[in-house]
Amino acid sequence: MSRPAGRTDWAADDEEDELPQNQIIKNKDGTETIITYAVREDGKKIKTTRRIKKSVVKQIVNPRVAERKHWEKFGQEKGKPAGPQTDTVSVAENIVFRPTANWKASSDDKSEADKKKTDLKQAKIKCRICSGDHFTTKCPFKDTMGVADDATPAEMPDDAPQAGGAGAGSGSYVPPHLRGRGAGGGEKMGGKYERDDLATLRVTNVSEIAEEQDLRDMFSRYGHVTRVFLAKDRETGRAKGFAFVSYADRSDAAKACEKMDGYGFGHLILRVEFAKKPDGK
Amino acid sequence: MTAHFNTKTSISEVGSVKIHKSCPTPHTPSDTSPHIRYIIMRPILLSGHERALTQVKYNPDGDIIFSVSKDHVVCAWYSHNGERFGTYHGHQGALWTVDVDPTSTLLATGGADNTMRLWEVKTGRLLKTWEFPTSIKRVEFSADGRQLLGVTERRSGHTGSIVVYEINPDVEAEQADEHVLRIICEDSKATVAGFSYLAQYIIAGHEDGTVSQYDGKSGELLYNTQVHEPDVQNQITDLQWAPDRTYFITASKDKSAKILAADSLEVFKTYQTDTPLNSAAITPVKDFVILGGGQAAMDVTTTSARQGKFEARFWHKIFAEEIGRVRGHFGPLNYVAVHPQGTGYCSGGEDGYVRVHHFDKPYFDFLYEVEREQLQAQSNL
Repeated sequence: MSRPAGRTDWAADDEEDELPQNQIIKNKDGTETIITYAVREDGKKIKTTRRIKKSVVKQIVNPRVAERKHWEKFGQEKGKPAGPQTDTVSVAENIVFRPTANWKASSDDKSEADKKKTDLKQAKIKCRICSGDHFTTKCPFKDTMGVADDATPAEMPDDAPQAGGAGAGSGSYVPPHLRGRGAGGGEKMGGKYERDDLATLRVTNVSEIAEEQDLRDMFSRYGHVTRVFLAKDRETGRAKGFAFVSYADRSDAAKACEKMDGYGFGHLILRVEFAKKPDGK
Repeated sequence: MTAHFNTKTSISEVGSVKIHKSCPTPHTPSDTSPHIRYIIMRPILLSGHERALTQVKYNPDGDIIFSVSKDHVVCAWYSHNGERFGTYHGHQGALWTVDVDPTSTLLATGGADNTMRLWEVKTGRLLKTWEFPTSIKRVEFSADGRQLLGVTERRSGHTGSIVVYEINPDVEAEQADEHVLRIICEDSKATVAGFSYLAQYIIAGHEDGTVSQYDGKSGELLYNTQVHEPDVQNQITDLQWAPDRTYFITASKDKSAKILAADSLEVFKTYQTDTPLNSAAITPVKDFVILGGGQAAMDVTTTSARQGKFEARFWHKIFAEEIGRVRGHFGPLNYVAVHPQGTGYCSGGEDGYVRVHHFDKPYFDFLYEVEREQLQAQSNL
């Protein structure tokens, strides 16, 4: 859009350090090109080129109105040229306004919060204790009844969204795949095997070279061991020094605890006690 | 309006703003399906004020918009292109209210500097100042322009009152110093007031949600009725008249607007919204009302613009059903005013902007199915 004439002006501008004349160029297609120069706040000169199309809008108005249109300006506008001033008047973005007979807030724009709320309302809420339509944590029977036994992992996807960050009542965050897992809390590392914390022993001071099978052999003497978990270092593959052993029966576990505590195994003396839940229940 | 319209052609000065407007318009007239009609409006943004707008008004011909804000200055704008042609200087405090007489020669304003002032519209000359012990919350001319009322605030020992002055429509004439009527509002202060048809009644909306009707001549209280929720927080924030002043609409902080008859104070229609309302206007030509409001200004910073509900709401006047909203402001709408010929409206917001909207053809085409059927039946007769 810049024209040769404009360029010479720029040159002159550099020498004399004053702004060139504003230009109005009439184009062939009836539009006008208006070039204005101004100094910005930071001292830089700016050139604004606007190409506009003028259209005369004829309006038949009341003579009073026509007369008022030629009033002289006063106050802060005194002496300003006719037409809207750019400092007080601007044109806003287009607005789509669509009158509709059954207009609803939802049809147009709904706030995020509202949406979330309705999503939550629509989600199926089922208590795992009494199958009522409330969260398990809010269940009136939560102290008197245990979680229903049929809360198998297969059902969990249904439950997961509502358990939310509440983490089934323990107060701490529970990852989604572990949610809805019974009484909550406990040593979760065992995953789905660990059902009954009451029959689980914590074995510490285990030798580094110990294997799960060694522990299983030793502890099987006192009853049916359902699970052995030996914590291992991920990189070296060596035992970290503690393990969990679960029994099917609590009395077996108690016997094992008694006998195995202080048992020498691989230069070290085992320490065996009942596993505690992290929250000390 | 009995003035015969000359066929005199006036060529509007086409400033750059106007020209942008006339660039290819994106509205689609081809879309003729009865329910889906888009109105694309390009509002003109008037940014002459530095603080929150308190009232905006069209003159009776609709060619001028007057705006007052808390920045002490009154501005006058041409409504068709947003050009500001003058400002009125003299007030020493926030302005609450403005009104123009039917001939667009006199302008009345009231504000927190405890004065009510009269100006010459054309030149910005201050003609008269009335002083009061408290601020002026609302001024309004009667339909004939011979009377001017002002609503004074209640404060420290002064009861709220409504004062009425006789106005001489001649610019050069001396205006009366003394009021001809003073109505004391003992129980609950008046927040808004206006003259009914023929100045027969003075209708006032109160702080406690009641509306009362006073005799226009004697000032005697004729009737008082609880219209909005009776709570101090639920004051009536606006009262605007239908063109013939036989009924009016009130807006209240109790989130509703109501249309009442001027002579019986019977509630005809209720428009229940979900946000406190600051203003309500009745549109001529189409049977709509426009409601403006939003969360109270002091709570605004705690929410996003979306939740603040800073939109002009269009309701159907008769079916009392919401038909659409117009976004734009980023603060609550303090006042909405409708062009007296029904061709547009403007809104003044807490954000300091006046937005002037001109309605497009689809706005006037919009009809309910029953209205359409009725028109059909009439044309078949």
